[in-house]
Amino acid sequence: MNSDGDTDGDTDSDIGGSGYSLEQLADYLYRGRTPPIPEIDENAECQAMLDSLERLGTLSSELVSKDALDAPGVDETWLATLLATIGREVRAGRDIPYAATNPNTRLTITEGAIRELVRAAGDSVDGVLVGTCSIEGDLDGGGDAGEGDVAESTITVSLTISVVLSAPVTTLAQAVRERVHSELLKHTELHVSAINVTVVDVHMLTTAIEDES
Amino acid sequence: MAPDVSLVLRFVCYRLDADSAAIVTVATQFFSTLIPEGMMGALESASDAILAARSADGDTLAFAILVRRHAPYLRAFAIRLTGSSADADDAVQEALISAWGALPTLEDFSKVRAWLLSILSRKATDRIRQRKPSAELDEERAEDVELGPEQRAIATSRLDALSAVLERLPEGQKQCWVLKEVGGYSYEEIATELGMTPQTVRGKLARARATVVREMEEWR
Repeated sequence: MNSDGDTDGDTDSDIGGSGYSLEQLADYLYRGRTPPIPEIDENAECQAMLDSLERLGTLSSELVSKDALDAPGVDETWLATLLATIGREVRAGRDIPYAATNPNTRLTITEGAIRELVRAAGDSVDGVLVGTCSIEGDLDGGGDAGEGDVAESTITVSLTISVVLSAPVTTLAQAVRERVHSELLKHTELHVSAINVTVVDVHMLTTAIEDES
Repeated sequence: MAPDVSLVLRFVCYRLDADSAAIVTVATQFFSTLIPEGMMGALESASDAILAARSADGDTLAFAILVRRHAPYLRAFAIRLTGSSADADDAVQEALISAWGALPTLEDFSKVRAWLLSILSRKATDRIRQRKPSAELDEERAEDVELGPEQRAIATSRLDALSAVLERLPEGQKQCWVLKEVGGYSYEEIATELGMTPQTVRGKLARARATVVREMEEWR
């Protein structure tokens, strides 16, 4: 009776005289009712059972969603601890040197900091949120650039953005490119050859747009 | 906006003993202190894909919002799966920590919720396997579950009724049901997660299905 793989009980082994068991009906449902099996599709009892199985699946998911809704919100202490834990693993990326005037001193900025700079610059455009940001190119000019000699290397910055449809998308994208470019010029010595902006998403504003000067 | 970083750095170097070699690095966290107040609100309206992408780039604020958005569902799923809120909490925590580390490898950021759920399923089933080394225990229990009339009467809604039926299923059957119907995993995937053969999973699901269908009949 407990042997695996067998459905037990006579009622489950032949639904409505179709010759199909409850398990076979479930498999049919998981397959998206394809390829069509006329014996099942034309049998009222099978159809009722399929609907019922489908509903029970949906209901199971709803149950978890309802549990989630009924649960108290996220414990802020727990969240703070979690963020402290993950914050220890910083995505610093490559070190990018600044030209140093003193041979004993090495100045670097991490790739992660530059990504953050790019992100902040993009975000500062009203109605724009930056998604990914990647920096392609030779960041350290090749070899050990610790001797105060930064080669003329160029980089390409690519970012994806989500926009609020408050202004034409091209205007927003252009504003992002300009803002990112000027921030990179201001804070780094990188030679930016291109800034590629891809609009990947649209979001709604839940709060008023921050007035920014 | 941000102060000029290279100027700040030069100033720092000027103040350092010029004869000693110094390495000064601007670390990633430098700019996070400069996030304007309104950013939080804007980020809360961002899609999962944007938040996941930013998290992959190291934005902890975006990750916090992602966690706040999905943690309740993840926890509810883990509780249904493991039947223990302590195990569920541990599994959710572990899952989110490893998700943070693995986010840069996620290919489709818009599927972050399903991805989180799959990591959580692994963490939760790890706990299940640890606490019960042999799934055979299940076989010794009554495999058929029938609710008494008084238990049926308690349920005031379909959801309550289903909840009661699932709670009364033998653990292995319940786990298979939750992974299949809520997680949407295949027999093979469930088998791997729970350390069973696909045939065992098939058998447990068949029994769980028969019970759930029978007990839920009056709620059709």
